[in-house]
Amino acid sequence: MLKFVLRFGTLIGFAIILVVFTIALPESFLTARNWLNISQQLSMLTVVAAGMTVVMVMGDFDLSVGSMATLAGVVAALLFTLGQPIEVAVGAALLIGLLGGIFNGIMVSVFGILPFVATLATLTMFSGAAFIVSGGKTISGRAIPEAFGAFARTGVDIGGFIVPNLTIVAALVLVVTWVLLEQTPFGRRLYAIGGNIEAAHLSGVRVRRLKIAAFALTGLSAAGAGLLYASRVASANPTQGSGLMLNAIAAVFLGMTMSRQGEPRLLGTLMGVLILGVLDNGLTQMSVDSYVRQVLVGGIILIAVALGSISKTRRR
Amino acid sequence: MNINLKTNFRRFALAAAALAVTSSAALAASVAVITPYLAQPGTQFYVEAFQGVAKEKGWDVNVIDTQGDVAAVISKIEDMVNQKVDAIVINVDPSQVQAGLEAAKAANIPVFGMDAGANPLLVTNVTSNGYAMAAETSTYVADRIGGKGDVVMFVFDAFPPVQQRGVVASAVFGNFPDIKILDKVTPDVSDGGIADSRAKMEAILAAHPEPGSIAAVWAAWDQPALGALQAIEAAGRQNEGIVITGIDANPQAREEIAKGGNFEASVAQDFSGIGAAAADAVARVLGGETIKQSVIYVPTKLVTVANAAQ
Amino acid sequence: MTLLVLQHVSKAYGGVPALRGVTLTVSPGEIHALMGENGAGKSTLIKILAGVVAPDSATIRMDGAPVVIDSPRVAHRLGLRFIHQELNVVPTLSVAENILLSQPVPRRLGLFVDWAKLNRLAGEALKTLGITHIDPRAPLAALSLGDQMLVKISSALVSEPGAPARLYVMDEPTAALTREESERLFRVLNEIRRAGNSVLYVSHRLDEVMTLCDRATVLRDGVAIDSGKLADITHNDLVSMMIGRKVQDAYPAPARPAESRELFAAIDLSGPGVGPITLAVKAGEVLGIAGLSGMGQTALLRMILGDTRAKGDMRLDGQPWRPRGPADAWQGGVAYVPAERRSEGLVLSRPIYENITLPHLSRQSRSGLLLLRGLERALSQKLGDGVRLKANTVNQRAVELSGGNQQKVVFAKALNGTPKLLLLNEPTRGVDVGAKFDIYQIIRTMTAKGLGVILVSSDLPELIGMADRIAIMRSGEVKDVVAAQGLGEEALLNLCYGRDAAKVA
Repeated sequence: MLKFVLRFGTLIGFAIILVVFTIALPESFLTARNWLNISQQLSMLTVVAAGMTVVMVMGDFDLSVGSMATLAGVVAALLFTLGQPIEVAVGAALLIGLLGGIFNGIMVSVFGILPFVATLATLTMFSGAAFIVSGGKTISGRAIPEAFGAFARTGVDIGGFIVPNLTIVAALVLVVTWVLLEQTPFGRRLYAIGGNIEAAHLSGVRVRRLKIAAFALTGLSAAGAGLLYASRVASANPTQGSGLMLNAIAAVFLGMTMSRQGEPRLLGTLMGVLILGVLDNGLTQMSVDSYVRQVLVGGIILIAVALGSISKTRRR
Repeated sequence: MNINLKTNFRRFALAAAALAVTSSAALAASVAVITPYLAQPGTQFYVEAFQGVAKEKGWDVNVIDTQGDVAAVISKIEDMVNQKVDAIVINVDPSQVQAGLEAAKAANIPVFGMDAGANPLLVTNVTSNGYAMAAETSTYVADRIGGKGDVVMFVFDAFPPVQQRGVVASAVFGNFPDIKILDKVTPDVSDGGIADSRAKMEAILAAHPEPGSIAAVWAAWDQPALGALQAIEAAGRQNEGIVITGIDANPQAREEIAKGGNFEASVAQDFSGIGAAAADAVARVLGGETIKQSVIYVPTKLVTVANAAQ
Repeated sequence: MTLLVLQHVSKAYGGVPALRGVTLTVSPGEIHALMGENGAGKSTLIKILAGVVAPDSATIRMDGAPVVIDSPRVAHRLGLRFIHQELNVVPTLSVAENILLSQPVPRRLGLFVDWAKLNRLAGEALKTLGITHIDPRAPLAALSLGDQMLVKISSALVSEPGAPARLYVMDEPTAALTREESERLFRVLNEIRRAGNSVLYVSHRLDEVMTLCDRATVLRDGVAIDSGKLADITHNDLVSMMIGRKVQDAYPAPARPAESRELFAAIDLSGPGVGPITLAVKAGEVLGIAGLSGMGQTALLRMILGDTRAKGDMRLDGQPWRPRGPADAWQGGVAYVPAERRSEGLVLSRPIYENITLPHLSRQSRSGLLLLRGLERALSQKLGDGVRLKANTVNQRAVELSGGNQQKVVFAKALNGTPKLLLLNEPTRGVDVGAKFDIYQIIRTMTAKGLGVILVSSDLPELIGMADRIAIMRSGEVKDVVAAQGLGEEALLNLCYGRDAAKVA
């Protein structure tokens, strides 16, 4: 029984959270409207966390995703002010994400800098670049094309429910990332690198190339999330993505507690994202103070990870 | 261990259920105040005053701080709409939370701006009158120099709320035939604005060395006024009677004004008044009234040596 | 008079018996071998002795008096010392500091570390074991693995003066040691024996046990067999006790002679610290590489694998061989079995089949884009069966397997994709006797198919038994190449040391 609690602690905890919110918020929590809201609110975090999972599978980190998201949003907004069409601005922002990710990958795999240090440095660089590009101001108003902001405010009618575009984008990113990690040689090799980098290398895995590719994907997803954010607020300012990085890492960690080997798995990450989002949504609706909410969320992450590591120590 | 855990969970669930019962049983109006900027001093004044009024009215107020995250403001508006609160008050540029405003509109929940900016989806926006503030200080300057002399203006046209102040001051000075605008300076604000304003002012002082050649400095906000003051003092020209005014009455400005030196006046926004007026607007709408004004102005107050210490 | 008597030791894990009424006696001044294949119960027995695992039943006597060992502290007080494969040493500290790690540091004026005294005490501790070649002031990291082991033993000797060491329990101490390091260790063990203390010596290496130990206790399926005096039995007797069946030969006979066709050649190959090396491997041949540890054997294999940049020419199957990395090497038909299977050979956390298909995943998936797990599993099953891998399913994670079976997974991986040349680095290190024989069989089967094998090993009998020719490496160069047939161990050792010896080829 205790073993069961330890092994599935995070899932049990999530179930309890759902039950509590359902009882406490009988009219609003378990409604389609609310869950569509949650899915939309979590779309940016989902995209960043999916990308974060890719590098964490290799045992690496990317701390720069938040500022990359910001930079991408600001770059797109700047191109809008220069009269560029949406496709060009979005394309350029995604390209920046890809290049920034490749840069991270090169720092980590070619120069052998610890991911923590390398991406901490690029976090600062991207953030600085975002300030330079935006001149430190919020770019909003008429400069942003109506269609760009409208994207985040509209959705697709699926079976009588308007499913928000942001939700659909996040779902697509999840599916693609899942296939990539679980169903392709690429993902298999990333897991091999994460399990034993030296053995993978000696078994013919091109570690260097794969690391660069993985960081590139993470950068790309961060830029994508930044664009979703910019679309949602129909504006861009040089600090807006900064909250994403820690939440993304927290989500992956929560997800890791759910896999038997303690490895990052995409579905685990999705559960992690949901836990964070549902907690935020439910506690907000229960009028729990913003700051108390933060303490609670942090505490829950700690408990989940602690349970996970206890169950692992016991199995040894 | 297990049993303990279980009873604890049961207790938690019961408590949660009890909470739900009380919140749905109470007939009090529920109002959500959502801001990304709660950590900033001005915002705290609004919110406290708002809560003061709300308490009298017996409202159930939920103050939500998203800590700088604007997208989260949209999320919280959505959550509150989903919870069917009676009114929402925001303190952020409404054009950036359009998605949330539309969701509220669809659910017929009124949204109020508290120093937010005008927007058709807001019932009304409660704020200070920027035009009036600029008129207060520019007329103060004109009166003090007897409608005669050369004036240096510090403006910033890139930020709309500050740009309008410059327009008003220019109009006021333009109405005095003997007042000449010596220079209209836009300082670099990347480091707060004081340092660059001081540098710009030093250059102007150097170009006009004779005493009395500069009658006044009018600044569209406090930082350039403080920079200009530093420049004047550094040049040893503090006894020429150059009049300096700012706007906002921040603590540093108040301190200088209280000393009775060249920095003579600034204008204070009434943050508490804005909060109270916003609560008042909410009360009127909840009471069934329709508010026609898209902006409600709360009077500001001129700060001089007489009241700077308050 | 006996020092330690264990009787009726039983332990079951979840209903599965690991030990069934085991008896073990160790006399003072005896080196007693504890043998058995992996999973025979050796580690359980040691853990019971160490007070880490509680037995279901056991009677333990020290010096005739019954004792209960219910914690490591008690074991230590009774004079039991455990030296594991993983050394608990601090590489950044000096030898002396490591030896006296558990002691209060000698101080001058109660304040400054009395280095002179510290070094003197450590030097004395080393000297009691007959070790004079280690400088107590040297940083531990500068020492060879074997010397680090000696330091560890010295440290076990001095720790806590109140509880003098009586019995050293050593788990596979020579697994990572070179031959000369092992010999130094044996001298120390003999020193311990001479002083009247005892050693319980766990090892896979039969030759070692036969020469070093007085008696052996062999565990098989949780039951103990007393070998009696080792001097009275043969090598093969001991193997029979371990695997429970008669054995004829430790090394299977070559299936057919090597062809004359040259498969691989290296001409004036050199890399950082190694070379120039010139050697050739014929199809169907096993070329052994002998040498003292660190003479460039691993570097040679890594150059062939493309992992280390190399100057000079290589040819494989008549074509120039210039891999730019292990990935190229595997694609081109060169497979590598590294020396450290846990750190270099396997991704332990992943299933068996993922390990086996890792090098050729592009070919064994749909256009290199989508995994074909069914195909991977079937292929892994086939390759696993070919190497007599014992696992529940190929979905089992590698970490759950015994050392011998892990090594078989590494072999299955190497044999995936029909390689032409097999690079083997210590292929039977830490592998039990049964699995060892299986691995030799695999090598024979592969050479029969025309594969070439380069076999690096520090196990000289293995080299002589398996290789057709043996290249001897000293200081990064191949100094001699000799035929293995008829070569004596002594002669080969002399060649390794570069002493004058009759050349056979």
